[in-house]
Amino acid sequence: MTHDTSGVPALRADRLGKRYGHTWGLRDCTFEVPQGSIVGLVGPNGAGKTTLLALTVGLLAPSEGEVAVLGSPSRANTPQTLARVSYLAQDHPLYRGFTVADTFRFGRSLNPSWDSGLAEARMAALGIPLGRKVRSLSGGQQAQVALTLALAKRAPVLLLDEPVASLDPIARLDFMRDVLAASAEMGLTVIIASHVIAELERFCDWLLVINGGRLQVAGAVDDLLAGHAVLTVPREAAGGSLPGRVIERTDSDRHSTLLVAAASDAVAAAARAPGWAAESAGFEQMVLAYLRRPPVAAVPVGTAGTAVAS
Amino acid sequence: MIWVTWRQHRVQALLMAGVFVFIAVYALAFGLWARSVFNSDDLGSCLARSGGVDCAATITSFLREFNRGPALPLNLLLFTIPGILGAVVGGPLLGQELERGTWQLAWSQTVPRTRWLVTKLGLITAALIAFGVAVTAVMTWAWGPLDQVSIRLQPPPFNFEGVALACSVLCGFGLALLAGLLLRNTIGGMVAGYFAWEVPFIATTLVTGPLNLFSATTTVDCAGAACAAASTNSTPPVTGHLGDLVTGVTRAGGHLVVSYLPASAFWPLQFTVGAIYLAVGLAAAGTAVWLLHRRTT
Repeated sequence: MTHDTSGVPALRADRLGKRYGHTWGLRDCTFEVPQGSIVGLVGPNGAGKTTLLALTVGLLAPSEGEVAVLGSPSRANTPQTLARVSYLAQDHPLYRGFTVADTFRFGRSLNPSWDSGLAEARMAALGIPLGRKVRSLSGGQQAQVALTLALAKRAPVLLLDEPVASLDPIARLDFMRDVLAASAEMGLTVIIASHVIAELERFCDWLLVINGGRLQVAGAVDDLLAGHAVLTVPREAAGGSLPGRVIERTDSDRHSTLLVAAASDAVAAAARAPGWAAESAGFEQMVLAYLRRPPVAAVPVGTAGTAVAS
Repeated sequence: MIWVTWRQHRVQALLMAGVFVFIAVYALAFGLWARSVFNSDDLGSCLARSGGVDCAATITSFLREFNRGPALPLNLLLFTIPGILGAVVGGPLLGQELERGTWQLAWSQTVPRTRWLVTKLGLITAALIAFGVAVTAVMTWAWGPLDQVSIRLQPPPFNFEGVALACSVLCGFGLALLAGLLLRNTIGGMVAGYFAWEVPFIATTLVTGPLNLFSATTTVDCAGAACAAASTNSTPPVTGHLGDLVTGVTRAGGHLVVSYLPASAFWPLQFTVGAIYLAVGLAAAGTAVWLLHRRTT
């Protein structure tokens, strides 16, 4: 690192947008992620997750706004900006004709901070011979080689795009355990793009929900859970005065179930009314509520309960 | 980067080496044979004595013997090989990375993608120039006996002497590089690159053919039967100098008005052809570097 980056957000996006022809792959994205977070980047397929990651690496140039890693805009695409991020792309691409040793020599040739010891120790621990051709490895082993290539780059920010999508259940668990262990040991900030919400709940402490190219909600998981509640109210009351913003509404014959973004004391006060009940929102329930919202109704970032960390 | 470039392109490097060895072995046999016939026909002393006038029939049969049969496979190969090799090396460079998704690997390391590409282009260009120069050297040697009694201003041997072959390979390389980037596909890049290369290739055949650049006119005195027999195909040419390419002969009284390309037009023509190839190749490669640098799509 050429200058001190302590206290600087690991990621900062400011009105970030990327246009593909006439359509926006990503638009008006503003958020910050503190260093050391394990971030779940959630959204359906085509939501803009990969675009956001590619912009963060600098593989794409933004059409508007910018994204900075540890204070340096990725658009610059210099050795300094590239050294700050490791990227494991979707389907973990590798040169299939290379041996594992070739793959690591590739990493060493292109990265001054390359950690040969880490790469070789991981392969030894996983029982993957360095002399094997990549194409002869199993899908799980290829994912591990690709992860090792990313880790041995020794970048402080690790971006993973659907890292376990192509793996079987056992390999998924092993892989995620490895990611978490390595990131704890190396003090990494990790951004994991996924549409498997249940998996993210277990290890993410920060959440970015994106849909239709728009950021729906961003923040620390604990803050978000505290700032959301599920209210059950008489149906005729659902259209009236409520303690917060309604994210999702489900009506039955006599009652409405509302997922609201509201301060917990306001929810508690409202729940004292006859016929009203409140309970805390679950992680998956909250994420799904945001994903079901039509993308055009993107939440203005900075409103109660969805505030950007500052 | 040097190791990475070598590791990713070593199959193509070996292919180029193989093509060179094939050409070199063929050229060696061809050159030795041509030399032995040249000597047994005593053409060297005839040229020194009379500039070829005394042995016109021998020269014609010597050229017929070598320009047809044994040279034919070599000529066909040398006509197509620059475009094919350029396409085979250039098409996958970006096309395969984009097709297989490995661009996300290649350009997310600590080397910026523009530097990655420019370094690769530099190393591969050096290798292609080495290949072009080596092939040109062995073919120029092999064709030596024919060059002494024939015209070098048209292919063959114009396409594999001087700078034409190396520049042609580079042109094919640049075009296939760009095609691979635009089509995001290896095979597509190679095929499109090869057909795109046909355009400057055809342009250069116009330069050495119908355009008659660097042509000159001269007047030659003649008398009687020699005058009546004079034609564009006379051996030696009516200009009296082996190597001149006569394009027109008009009789005017006791002399001939001759339009021709002097043998000395070889290098001006070579540089014109080389410049066409290099301009096209550089424009294509430059466009590819620029597109990759911007990377807004």
